[in-house]
Amino acid sequence: MGVLDDLVTEFARLPGIGRKTAQRLTYHLLQQPSERTRALSAALTGVADRVRPCSTCGDFTETDPCETCKDPRRDDGLVCVVEESSAVSVLDRAGFRGRYVVLGGHLSPLDGVGPDALRVGLLEDRLREGTVREVVLATNPSLEGEATATFVQQRIAGSGVRVSRLARGLPMGGDLEFIDGVTLTHALSARQDVS
Amino acid sequence: MVAERISSRGFRNLDDFELDLPPTGAVFLGPNAHGKTSILESLYYPVLYRSFRNAPDTELSAWNGPGFRLTLDSVVGGESHRTSVGFDRETRRKRVVVDGVEVGRITDAVGKWLAVVFLPADLALLQGGAAERRRFLDRMLSLSDPAYLRALLRYRAVIAQRNAALRAGDAEVVRVFTDAMVEPGSYVVARRLQWVAAWSDRYSSESDGLGEGQRVSLAYLGNPDLAEPGGWSARVAEVERREFRRGATLIGPQRDDLQIAQNGRSLREFGSTGQQRAAAIVLKVCELLTLAEAHGRTPAFLLDDVFAELDRSRQERLTARLTGPGMGQVFLTAPRRDELPPAIDLEVFRVQDGRAYPAGATV
Ligand SMILES: [Zn+2]
Repeated sequence: MGVLDDLVTEFARLPGIGRKTAQRLTYHLLQQPSERTRALSAALTGVADRVRPCSTCGDFTETDPCETCKDPRRDDGLVCVVEESSAVSVLDRAGFRGRYVVLGGHLSPLDGVGPDALRVGLLEDRLREGTVREVVLATNPSLEGEATATFVQQRIAGSGVRVSRLARGLPMGGDLEFIDGVTLTHALSARQDVS
Repeated sequence: MVAERISSRGFRNLDDFELDLPPTGAVFLGPNAHGKTSILESLYYPVLYRSFRNAPDTELSAWNGPGFRLTLDSVVGGESHRTSVGFDRETRRKRVVVDGVEVGRITDAVGKWLAVVFLPADLALLQGGAAERRRFLDRMLSLSDPAYLRALLRYRAVIAQRNAALRAGDAEVVRVFTDAMVEPGSYVVARRLQWVAAWSDRYSSESDGLGEGQRVSLAYLGNPDLAEPGGWSARVAEVERREFRRGATLIGPQRDDLQIAQNGRSLREFGSTGQQRAAAIVLKVCELLTLAEAHGRTPAFLLDDVFAELDRSRQERLTARLTGPGMGQVFLTAPRRDELPPAIDLEVFRVQDGRAYPAGATV
């Protein structure tokens, strides 16, 4: 059973999907009209071929630089550092109007994720341009997110730029995307200088 | 706080049962391996929502059954409460309902029902390694202070990450997790030191009350500097090079110990088994009194076959203590009535072949 097994294996690689669910998804697709499956396949190919991390901010984009980086109404003096792409729209909704750097994850030595896996270099490039007044560290309020913020703070300590973190009081252990807008807007406006 | 009724379905090897429990407590009598300890286990389960024998929930489910359900009716400060927990073997899901409301996280239900248990295996508190005594401190302090539990879980997570960074040899990342371990680590050390300081004398007088002689004292074996966040960096600097070689964090509360000594000699090394068993019981008495003070109500005391290995005079003194100051509801097990001190005055339930039923007589 070549291709069927391949598909089950690929589904099972996705987060939160075990072997059993992967099989259920596979058989669900088999029972659909084949054009539905082809549409899914085309969407996957499109994502694989055309979506890349923006070379300026690291957010996923089809154009490089991305729409956010090209937007002239945003404040170049303010850079928000987040773990994942999903946090960008969340912070936009919370009222942030500066630029972003998407690290692409958080430090987790247990999972073999070290500094090399994070796009801290994009932030350092941005700081060398000299227009940045403040870096807002907006990693997730988890142990690894906070450790990542500390790490970034250490890395840019010599730059002389103001560094702040989202205000405390966000529920621990969560992702930014699961935090309600009012709380996040508050955490953003009440952000605290850390250096 | 008092357990009024416990009902059980599909728990261990026990037949389903529903027992009305007197406010003073009860005795469960029956041959070994017929289910006495499992009944105590069912009474302790709603404390931490896990087995006091560290058995996984699947193992607590009757063999081949769909899972188990325990319901505990209790009275706390004059108010009636019902705590119910169901475990589904197939989905491995556990549902906890307190007074008709399902709790989102099980930790939110912890503290509603409190009990302290003594098992024969608790002799390991005196005979076993330091990990046994740290577990004792951690459970007691977590149950009396939610901030302790948060700090402890946080600290453990930091240490796991820091050890991985040490093994990877990445100094920049190690530094990040060194920063992160200081706050929760110092809280854990400070609270443990505080407890030992507050309870050493009381431990000694409880011990004396059980006839163990005076000058039995508690000591915390650990670096007191680590109780202050400011005390960590100097210690880290001393050990860091070795930490990289070993790939492990070499300072902090995960390396500390609680020493129980008489006249300065560790009971672990120099005590007789009788002294050690008595010392373990005294630790449990202190745990009960600690939880009582933290919550303003006395937990139930569950003692599994506690009299079996005690000599006559220790039996009598313990009996007196169990009905003495600060004690509440007491549940005991024994193989036979004549193995209990005559002064024990509690309602008797028989436990035979997994069946539990009132003996219909007060002994
Ligand atoms: Zn961009």
